[in-house]
Amino acid sequence: MFAKRSVIGLYTDEEAAASALDALREAGYDQGEYEVLTGTPYPEGTFGEEEPKHTLYRWPLIGAACGFIVGLVLTSGTQLAYPLVTGGKPVLSIPPMTIIMYEGTMLGAIIFTVIGIIIESRLPRLFMGAYDERITEGYIGVTVTTSEERVGTAEEVLNASGAEEVKRGWENN
Amino acid sequence: MQDHIQLDQKQINDDLLAGVLGMPKWWLPAVLFLTLVVFAGLGSFGYMMNKGLGVTGLNRPVMWGFFIVNFVFWIGISHAGIMISAILRLTQAEWRRPVTRAAEVMTVFSLMAALHTPLFHVGRPWREMWVFPYDFARGVWPNVRSPFVWDPSAVGTYLIASSLFVFIALIPDLAVVRDRAVNPLVKKIYGTMCLGWRGTPRQWKLQAVAGILLSALVLPVFVSVHSIVSWDFAVLIGVEGWHSTIFAPYFIIGAIHSGVSAVAMLMALSVWLWGLDKYLRPDHFDAIGRLLIVVATTWFFFFFLEWVFALYTLEGVEISLRELQVFQWPYGMLFLIFLATAFFIPVPMWMFKSVRRSAFWMFFTTVLVNVGMWLERFLIIIPGLVRRQPFTFDWGTYHPSIIEILIVAETFAFVALGMLLFSKFFPLIPIFDIKEGMVVRDEIKIGRRIVPATIRE
Amino acid sequence: MASGHAEHPGNPALVTAEDVTKDLLGKHAGTSNNFWRVASVFGILLILGIIGFVMRLSDGVSDTAVWGYYAAMFAFILTTAQSAPMVAIAPRIAKAHWRRPISRVAELWTVVGLFNLLLFIPMLWILPPLSDGRRSLWFYFDGGDVPSYSPHIWSTLAILGLVVIGVALLWMSALPDFAMVRDHAPDGWKKRWATRLARGWIGSSAQWNMQKHRLGILGAFYFMMLIFVHFLISVDFLITLVPGWVDSLFPITHAANGLQAGVATVLLTIWALYKFGGYKDYIAFDQIWGLGKLLFALSLLWFWFWFSSFNIFWYGGKPEEQAIIELLMSGPYRWAFFGVFFFNFLFPMWTMMWNPLRRSTWGPPIIAASVLIGTFLDRIRLYVSAYSIDGIGNPAINKHVVVEIPETIYPSLADIFIMLGALGGMVFIFLMATRLIPIVNIWEQRELKLYEIHKTFHRTVVKVLGKPD
Repeated sequence: MFAKRSVIGLYTDEEAAASALDALREAGYDQGEYEVLTGTPYPEGTFGEEEPKHTLYRWPLIGAACGFIVGLVLTSGTQLAYPLVTGGKPVLSIPPMTIIMYEGTMLGAIIFTVIGIIIESRLPRLFMGAYDERITEGYIGVTVTTSEERVGTAEEVLNASGAEEVKRGWENN
Repeated sequence: MQDHIQLDQKQINDDLLAGVLGMPKWWLPAVLFLTLVVFAGLGSFGYMMNKGLGVTGLNRPVMWGFFIVNFVFWIGISHAGIMISAILRLTQAEWRRPVTRAAEVMTVFSLMAALHTPLFHVGRPWREMWVFPYDFARGVWPNVRSPFVWDPSAVGTYLIASSLFVFIALIPDLAVVRDRAVNPLVKKIYGTMCLGWRGTPRQWKLQAVAGILLSALVLPVFVSVHSIVSWDFAVLIGVEGWHSTIFAPYFIIGAIHSGVSAVAMLMALSVWLWGLDKYLRPDHFDAIGRLLIVVATTWFFFFFLEWVFALYTLEGVEISLRELQVFQWPYGMLFLIFLATAFFIPVPMWMFKSVRRSAFWMFFTTVLVNVGMWLERFLIIIPGLVRRQPFTFDWGTYHPSIIEILIVAETFAFVALGMLLFSKFFPLIPIFDIKEGMVVRDEIKIGRRIVPATIRE
Repeated sequence: MASGHAEHPGNPALVTAEDVTKDLLGKHAGTSNNFWRVASVFGILLILGIIGFVMRLSDGVSDTAVWGYYAAMFAFILTTAQSAPMVAIAPRIAKAHWRRPISRVAELWTVVGLFNLLLFIPMLWILPPLSDGRRSLWFYFDGGDVPSYSPHIWSTLAILGLVVIGVALLWMSALPDFAMVRDHAPDGWKKRWATRLARGWIGSSAQWNMQKHRLGILGAFYFMMLIFVHFLISVDFLITLVPGWVDSLFPITHAANGLQAGVATVLLTIWALYKFGGYKDYIAFDQIWGLGKLLFALSLLWFWFWFSSFNIFWYGGKPEEQAIIELLMSGPYRWAFFGVFFFNFLFPMWTMMWNPLRRSTWGPPIIAASVLIGTFLDRIRLYVSAYSIDGIGNPAINKHVVVEIPETIYPSLADIFIMLGALGGMVFIFLMATRLIPIVNIWEQRELKLYEIHKTFHRTVVKVLGKPD
């Protein structure tokens, strides 16, 4: 049994969802306990939610550094291991090495960025928790994940804000 | 967009998932036909492996023929996908919304098709893995100084990058399919693929940031790939007409030209085959038509520059090559067809708004462009080899054999098949992007006029 | 993309179009003493330049080697000032609203094109005729019978065309503003000139339509003419002077350098307006950031074009191409080249990755200054080296390969005066032009008020941008 319980309220109207969040804040629920689920991106702050902070920009830099090193090691290592002069060029020829190192850098940056996106999005998520399939049809979901004692109040707040339906999270797992 | 249809989310889901949750009548016959062509091509490859490269038209001096022309052509087509997607995202152009995924997916399949031809083309395909540095025991390593080692690093990077780009942008739509699917196994598969997406503000924000960041990262890769492919030719001093510094940007602008044309073709096909005329409006065709005018004119200027500098030195060998390209049969005829189809017919037509706004005429002109651009690569590669200096005793001709024609046809069928199979499992038009377009759409009243507007954060 | 909620830009008191007009007209009407102090400094530099030019003239025009720095300065002005209007033209075609406060600044730089036209005249005497047998662009005539002064004639026509189109573009863009000054400004010489230049503008729909179409056409023609001028100058005044230099990419590289330097010029100018000119209500983070992003992309482009040429030359090992690499990169102008590489590419690329620098109002202007220094060094390394090839103009020298790499030519006193004069002259003429023509486009700012509104969207405030036809 989990110590937390979740409940989701479904709204058809953005304004109603926004007032639900206002009401939850007034009722003393803090930012980490409620969340808005939408089937389409809205301008930031539409529902009065806080701006999500992320550190995505670190990932491409780390990836680029790794890719650069791999590229450098591969190009210089392989040529030094089998030093065959071709085309009259030096064994460690910088222009061709630059090309392959550049590709390695970009590949590293992109792969790490993608990993970063997935992780920063808090994915993969094993259990869906409070969710409803109608969210991708245009409904807006407001979920509250809190302790067992407080989840009843949350249900009331959501209902009072004009939810079309309010249900418990684990019913949907 | 001046003509815009406001739709609700359910309608959008129904329209754009029609191909995934159902199957259009023409889909299965088309897939079967394309699979046949692909098998014919693969069979030809098997035959070629068994009998040797002599069954093709390749020989001294023309050791690169249809296969390499096709390779460069598909690399070219692959460029527009990411370019349209990335540049239009970075400039926040609203008209990109229906177009990005089809373009990106076309990129991925074009790259795979492009990789077919050199993989088939080498004399000993079973030794191809040696281009990767994996085997310590052999003591032989790939030659980093060769453009043929730069190629796999670039094309491989681009393929991986584009695939990841497609996947990341696909996640929210996989969630839609998960929610709409009825079969529990299908639901579970899509649920796993979308990694448990729920649609929180954090996830949406990261989608937006991901789009911009990945676009900014993939654009330099996109520039480097075709530059490197062009350097397969340009760094060589042995073939007239190849050793030109302009090749890198020239090939890239040519790639953008043929690729954006291919995207326009895809747009027209989407309207006709999947009935997506509510999403791909005349405004979208108009926008891509205007982009094409700029791209085509820029390409033509680069083509002109390449010719100016070929003739600039007034060297006999180069001039005789150009005379072959323009005046001698069959290259002269192909040259005329190329100029007409790649520039002189489409561009004046695109100057007319009625042409730009018509799916049919955009399809017609862009097919012409791609015919012309395929011929352009042919005219760059084969005439120079036919008259390779100074080995005049080697001068020869080139006649493509049925094997080469079948394999080239296989690459076209492969891309079409790939797109059709993709469209069966994933929506070709990004659902969440269209929905977002509906949300940020607004209007401003100026006097008696209603001006369309966009909400910007 | 700016994160967080939309901020109401600039001064909240500037709500209506009338507020904006009054504010901008007020700024245009007065000239502070500081302005005259700064302008006179640049005026003095211009006079030094004239002195340097006269000193140079005393050496005659037959020895191209001593005119290398002069040619480099002509090319520098072409690359910076005359390429700057692209910052107004391209976003206008793309209908991007952020260009509005800065488009006039970009267009005003065409006035310096008139100055460059004067500088071009001695170039016609410096450039040798084609009778020395060297290759040129004008090979369409049979055999060796190319008219000897083809480059001179065609380039003159092209540059004249560019300057004329540029001035026409500026005038067409400034027409409504001249009318504004004519109608609302206090009496004085500015009002008199504005009346003359406004030429019966009353703001009728027909006039606005005509202006929009002509601006579009003039913009497109300016762009094409600019590329063409870069093509002619880079080939006939540079490439053909170096035996064995066959570089099909170079006209494009020259033009791309122009775009990069033009953006840098405008960026630095708008930063000066922001910091010292009192235009903080109009020129803000959006403009600096927009140009900064463009500058970053163009710096990467610089590297790509350079590497494309370099790779082809380096790889093949041909003697004439190895000689070019030595002449332009690894030989007598090695340090200039390292400077170019650093200022035009390495520094912009590394610093633009730093968020604190990138997303600031002081970061991109530093990059712009770096790019301008790099462009300055680039023009010097290219033109001084090319013009110093021994025996250009001599029919007897080897036309296929640079046999002897010339020594580095360091600037003499006359050259230093010429360089200072060119830089000073550019800025002086620009500053003088701003006295006559309002430096921020008044009518475009008024138009923005029609298309930009801020509204509440549920729990946040967003900016709504209309899309003009």
